[in-house]
Amino acid sequence: MTVQLSAEQVLDEHSLASVLSIDFFDTLITRSVAQPTHVFAVMEQELVATRGTAWRGFAVARVESELLARQGIESANEHRDVTFDEIGYQLTKQLELTRADRDMVMALERDIEIRLVQSVPFGVAITEAARSRGLRVVVVSDNYMPAEHLLNMAHAAGYVWLSASDIFVSCEHGGMKHNGMLWPVVLSALNVPTHSVLHVGDDEHADGNVPASLGIFTHVRDTMRRSHRDMINTSPAVLALSRIESCYRNAMDETGWDSAEVIGGGLIAMIVAAQVIDARSVLEQRSVAGVHFAARDGYLAHRVWNILKSHDWGLPNATYTAFSRSVVWRACLTEITRENVGRFVGDDEVLTVARLERRVGSALASDLDREKPIDAATARDVVLVNADAVLSASKTLRTRLLTYLQSHGVLIPGHHIVVDLGWTGSTIADLAELVAGESGDLGTLEGRLTGLYWDASPQRMRIAMHGFAMDEFGSITDNLRLLGVIKLLEALVTAPHGSVVGYEDDGTPIFVETAPELAAYDVVMRQVGDAAVRGAIAILEGTHPSGVTAADITKESLWAAIMQVGHSPRIDEINLLSRVNHVTSIDHEGNGRPLIAVTPKDPSSVELRDLPGMYDTLIHRHWMQGSLRALWSKPESAWIADEVYKRWPMTAPRWVP
Amino acid sequence: MRTYERPVLLARAIASVQVQTFTDWELVIVNNGGESSVVDGVVRTAMNATPSGTIRVLHLPDRVGMEEASNRGLLDSESEFFVIHDDDDSWDERFLDTAIRALRSSSSAVAAVTGVTRIYETFRGGKVWPVSHEDFPLSQGLLTYRGMIGGNTFPPIAAVFRRTVLAAVGNFDASLPVLGDWEFNLRAVTAGEFYFIPDRLAHYHTRTPESDAVSGNSIIIGEELHRSVKLQLQDKWLTEPPVNGVNKGELSVVAATEVLLGEIRNNRSDALLNLERIASQIMRLQPMVRRIAHNVRHPVHGIRAVGRALRRTISR
Repeated sequence: MTVQLSAEQVLDEHSLASVLSIDFFDTLITRSVAQPTHVFAVMEQELVATRGTAWRGFAVARVESELLARQGIESANEHRDVTFDEIGYQLTKQLELTRADRDMVMALERDIEIRLVQSVPFGVAITEAARSRGLRVVVVSDNYMPAEHLLNMAHAAGYVWLSASDIFVSCEHGGMKHNGMLWPVVLSALNVPTHSVLHVGDDEHADGNVPASLGIFTHVRDTMRRSHRDMINTSPAVLALSRIESCYRNAMDETGWDSAEVIGGGLIAMIVAAQVIDARSVLEQRSVAGVHFAARDGYLAHRVWNILKSHDWGLPNATYTAFSRSVVWRACLTEITRENVGRFVGDDEVLTVARLERRVGSALASDLDREKPIDAATARDVVLVNADAVLSASKTLRTRLLTYLQSHGVLIPGHHIVVDLGWTGSTIADLAELVAGESGDLGTLEGRLTGLYWDASPQRMRIAMHGFAMDEFGSITDNLRLLGVIKLLEALVTAPHGSVVGYEDDGTPIFVETAPELAAYDVVMRQVGDAAVRGAIAILEGTHPSGVTAADITKESLWAAIMQVGHSPRIDEINLLSRVNHVTSIDHEGNGRPLIAVTPKDPSSVELRDLPGMYDTLIHRHWMQGSLRALWSKPESAWIADEVYKRWPMTAPRWVP
Repeated sequence: MRTYERPVLLARAIASVQVQTFTDWELVIVNNGGESSVVDGVVRTAMNATPSGTIRVLHLPDRVGMEEASNRGLLDSESEFFVIHDDDDSWDERFLDTAIRALRSSSSAVAAVTGVTRIYETFRGGKVWPVSHEDFPLSQGLLTYRGMIGGNTFPPIAAVFRRTVLAAVGNFDASLPVLGDWEFNLRAVTAGEFYFIPDRLAHYHTRTPESDAVSGNSIIIGEELHRSVKLQLQDKWLTEPPVNGVNKGELSVVAATEVLLGEIRNNRSDALLNLERIASQIMRLQPMVRRIAHNVRHPVHGIRAVGRALRRTISR
């Protein structure tokens, strides 16, 4: 973490300055959303609520209009900034607005900017300190809004001492900070030499390099833009996470940005809150014999459930139930054939007989060296030769699993819900069949899942399921995007213990701990989980400082949050999670795979024909978007990411329709 | 919802109803002569989902035509609005809410039709996965009588009807093995407007050729049957007396020819590849084109004009 200089320290460092020039947006003021374009999301929310669904998509159109207006200025080789009226003109064209509607939305934008404005504590501190030292304070901003509007915003944020003559804004002076052409206007108006001015802003180029090259003292402080993501992904659905992240941005202004805390208290808190909200919604609608949070994806929600229960929420007892894909499948196994043996051994796995024995839970007769690596085909042959022993072990496992389920109340007759992340429902469907068979069809299970993609369809014959944020009825592109982020979510929504690989005779679950997972837990996941629990409780109890409550956790907002982090991550999130390996093998042994795929050693040697294989690997085995962004962030490998974005458009950073 | 021995698709279709944000629905599943225990099993499982609407199953002992199955389902229900939900299609969760709001806000409309996404999927060994998708071309113009007369313009999954339309124009024509929805739509649109909602909230699923045969779409498997029934319908309409001076059959043939020409104009390379198919269709249309001729001063000129237009377009 980088500790920022205080206002006094900044002024002390530039004690010769007689004028403090300060950037406006994200230095003097900010808004109660994570990035500037989200103001348009608030506008769209209000327009749809008051004027109907025809206004859906307004926010994206507003972003695009500004880009078009800027392109127009650039193509005309003009040095000035775009104006608010020019943006309004583009918006009118794009949305085919009437004159009255155009005037209405432009007035609404001004109004909402004023409603959302907040002062930046550092901005307050440095302007107060400068004024008390007798410095003149002026605002120098690259923006399309007229000075009169900036003045109104500044007054709303508490800078009541500021006057119109103190504001120099690019759209009114024919030049910009960015291209250096606004500074002569400012210096001439102030009638001071360059070395008398200290400029403070958040843009390395426009507020740092450019004025510094003119001899102006500069200080760049970009803490208010650390919560920014891609501009285009702007819709009302992003506002829940946006508000939470804006709170973190403000709170971490002095202390430094803590990515694990923000991911945990943001996206993961929303997922956990959604798991609890969803389980509660079932209880409100029907009689339920048991609520079961699945290990490990339901660990955090189970913690939250118990805390809320202790806060007199009137919640019934809920269990934390340990089962996994591999144990449920093995427990249900009745035959081993060439067709199903592949579920014991993945196509590209290299195992040993010893590891295979642990995997199937039985000694295996083989002439092979028990510790010598064998390929998948050989491993499958070993399992087939030992089919009887493997089936016997499965039978024992089934008995132990049933003992465990009995002790956790899953076999009580009636309707049970199982809360899990997702994604195909096959494990819960296997479990449902086991429960139905054991209870004489008196026990039914319903899967309450965060997300489901198209593979879930066949499971619907076996179990009723609900995907909170996504299911196979979403678009194919969204289904694929979900597939690309599930490794990220599985890694983050987790427990401090390994996956269950078997049970003792008395039903006690046996968890396997892997070194990579333990290390990742200590470094990242523990903090993420703790922040998520705190955040979810605050959301659910209505005490979150962002104002986000349970009512804000909807299908749309949760999907948007998953996409905001999972599909359009920031570089700080990629840096944090590049330390995490995710173990997915059936026995949960081995080192797993890194969440962020390793960048090829020599990106220039990658050929176009390699891309389909690369895409396939990224979407199935890694966090696809994290990996693509990591490639994109490095000049030598950026072309690979660009090429993937082009060939598979749904991978491109834009996910808002 | 009519179904016949496609339990995985049926389970998905039921879930697509259950996820609707509009919850005051009744689903009547017409098991069209298939194994009852399989359908009952799928429905029993679906009913374990946290409930909103209600589900009933109507088991038909013997398989009947698709339209007869629809009629039996309609007879067994009393709702204000109805939809024919094929067991292989699905909806976005906002479909019913959006369509019913539209119908409630537009009293002159007898149907609300949403935009459609066509999903190509492969169904093999009990698993189904999407291969590609495309926007299904639909517009308000294609929901008018003139727009629909040349051929079916939307799949049933996209439309919610006001039940009063049945009293006005009758039920589905049970004698038709296919295209009963087209024939019904043409009658229904005479009773009132079809309100178009551009949002693509209906998913029209089409199995790829690699799929197991049992999962196929009627329109893909029975392409020849569709062509034949269309010609039969047009023949029948040609014998009907004109309404407002216009014969329904003539109008349909002309519109169908325009559709063919449009196909050729829009996609010449495909048209060349499918030349044989198109030529065969034109041959089939010839007798009807002749019948149109009585409205044309010089019939031969009319036919030659169509031929010339075809030749010009193909040679471009």
